[in-house]
Amino acid sequence: MVMTHPGLPDYLVYLNWVFMFLVSAWALYTRVPEKAVHKCIQLNRVPVLGGVVRFLNRSPWPLLLIKIVIVAVFITIIYAGLQGTPVPERNLATVLTWNLWWAGLIIAIFFLGSAWCAVCPWDAIATWLVRRRLWKRAGSNNSLNLKVPGWLRNVWPALLMFMALSWFELGAGVTVDPYATAMLSLAMVVMATVSLAIFENKAFCRYFCPVGRTVGFYSQLAPVELRPIDKAVCADCETLECYHGSDLVEPCPTSLVIGTLTQNTFCTSCGNCVQSCPEKNVSWNLRPQSVEVKQDARPHWDEAWFMLGLLALTSFHGITMLPFWFDSMSQLGGWIGDSGRLLFTFSAGMLLVILVPAGIYSLSAYWSYKWSGEVNHYRQVFSTLAFALLPLAFSYHIAHNLNHLVREPADWLSLFKNPLGAGMQPLSMDGKHERYMNMIVSQDTLSWIQAGLMLFGFWLAIQVVRYRGFAMYSETRLWVLPVIVFAVMMHGFNLWLMAQPMTMRM
Amino acid sequence: MIRALLFLLASIISFDALAHHILGRPSYSLGDDSNTPPSMQVETQIGDFYVTYMVFPAFPQPGKQGRVNLYATRRDSGKTYDGQVTFTIRDDKWFGSHQEALGTQNIDDGVYRQGFLVKKAGKYLIQARFHSNGEPYTIDFPLRIGQVSSIGPIGIAAIVIFSVLLIVNIIQRKRLLRGKIQSAGRESN
Repeated sequence: MVMTHPGLPDYLVYLNWVFMFLVSAWALYTRVPEKAVHKCIQLNRVPVLGGVVRFLNRSPWPLLLIKIVIVAVFITIIYAGLQGTPVPERNLATVLTWNLWWAGLIIAIFFLGSAWCAVCPWDAIATWLVRRRLWKRAGSNNSLNLKVPGWLRNVWPALLMFMALSWFELGAGVTVDPYATAMLSLAMVVMATVSLAIFENKAFCRYFCPVGRTVGFYSQLAPVELRPIDKAVCADCETLECYHGSDLVEPCPTSLVIGTLTQNTFCTSCGNCVQSCPEKNVSWNLRPQSVEVKQDARPHWDEAWFMLGLLALTSFHGITMLPFWFDSMSQLGGWIGDSGRLLFTFSAGMLLVILVPAGIYSLSAYWSYKWSGEVNHYRQVFSTLAFALLPLAFSYHIAHNLNHLVREPADWLSLFKNPLGAGMQPLSMDGKHERYMNMIVSQDTLSWIQAGLMLFGFWLAIQVVRYRGFAMYSETRLWVLPVIVFAVMMHGFNLWLMAQPMTMRM
Repeated sequence: MIRALLFLLASIISFDALAHHILGRPSYSLGDDSNTPPSMQVETQIGDFYVTYMVFPAFPQPGKQGRVNLYATRRDSGKTYDGQVTFTIRDDKWFGSHQEALGTQNIDDGVYRQGFLVKKAGKYLIQARFHSNGEPYTIDFPLRIGQVSSIGPIGIAAIVIFSVLLIVNIIQRKRLLRGKIQSAGRESN
């Protein structure tokens, strides 16, 4: 017997569909928007919250303490995964990694941007091992500091890594295997360390890390940003401490210059720039969530593909958790003569689910390019309008993860008391049923939050098409229609996924 | 392409199918009857058959009796396989794996039951073999006996990291030395 989460109720799905058609029509007939001017609030001036921000930024110690705690938990996860019970719901490694961290991380980005990267244990361990310093700037002698080869200086490696991570997660079943979870964690530490020992700065964070890049792209939709307080001060700066670092503070790990920073994509929220700037000209800001994706972020071909990959893979996550997926895999496996764990079949299915939206979007962008009279290059149209895919992916990803987070609660006290699950029995069906019934919010509340997130995502996607599309070409509005149709299709498909009963993870 | 379309079609029309566990991944369950010991179960698919394999108890200990139950049903008709199944066991090692026969079993009430007793803790593979319509079928299932030391993965990770850091250190020392010699050479000139 397999237990499933209920899907979104029909009336919320219909509400989304009505909203979709109204907003799409409005986008085509409303006037062309002018460039949005947004106001930011410096977080360190906000009462109470400002105190916390100032405390965290005053010295490296608060961040270091958080890192030490997270690394300690991370090492416990590895130990529990390797030495503990193989029963996934009784082992801290699987529950903490997949039920809390991986599900909660995406939701945290909605509020905190790339804050996770600042305390990432993979990077912290790698830094301590290679730099051999806990926080102060290290000499350059412990890394080869090689430049990353030109063909790797893009986010293609991170996209491939993200696909590999999804394959391990959904195909190889790492999420229900504590041992494999620990092995994956170790592998990430090894990759981060080797990269840091060979390449300059944090090449792993910038080019290779699938989690870091996912966090980075979604952070374009976060309400927080690290930006210069006065751009004129940065324009006059000749020492660029944010880029080069100071005597005590490391340079920006992803080689950003704060004075020219317009997007969160590669910012790891480490705060080095805040501490190294001699003019104290860097601040955490609160901002409208849509501003970066609507106009500030710069389009790039590889980054557009990453966003497309994010959209396809988040939908793929949803598909694999529907009961019909297993049967389809079995049928396809039988046809192509696959046996055992059907990993070849799974890989083929995964590739198909990625290629279908990628192909349709490429065609949509092509039609838009044609309908706009070919005034811009195809790649430019493709890359610019791809920003519309980000809110679609993000909103569905959060709505999907809320299912895991809210409906698959764990007995945290028992898990932390006994992280290895020594002597624990697997949960019975009754036990599982009881656990899943103990939701932290009611079913209705959860459904409304999910439907609201989906509405928000679609609204933002259409806003991106309006602002970015009409900034490129405004002679006619109909030229963006193919991309709007694609957004409707993908959003409609994700809504359908949300309306289906979803298989519980463990 | 046609197969891909057929697959999509099959995906859309097969809503009512029962979901499986992740194929080939052990899943653990405790019967709601408290007298039932926890069991470990692996489902897999091979050729024309769905095969389900259960181990009792879920965590067999060295020197204690355990049992494997195996169910094999045809994928097309759901009919149970009723020939003989031969079970063997071997170490789950990359090199030098030693294999022993456990027994050959006939079907008993739709199930193939095979007892085992392993004296040494470790990771093993149980292999089930049978023939149907002249085709041989061989399936490997994991079996963990007792507590297995997991120093291996940590050791490998530590060796990789240590080796890389050592190599980087040596290269950097050579670079520094070369730099010093070059600057000394420039000064003497």
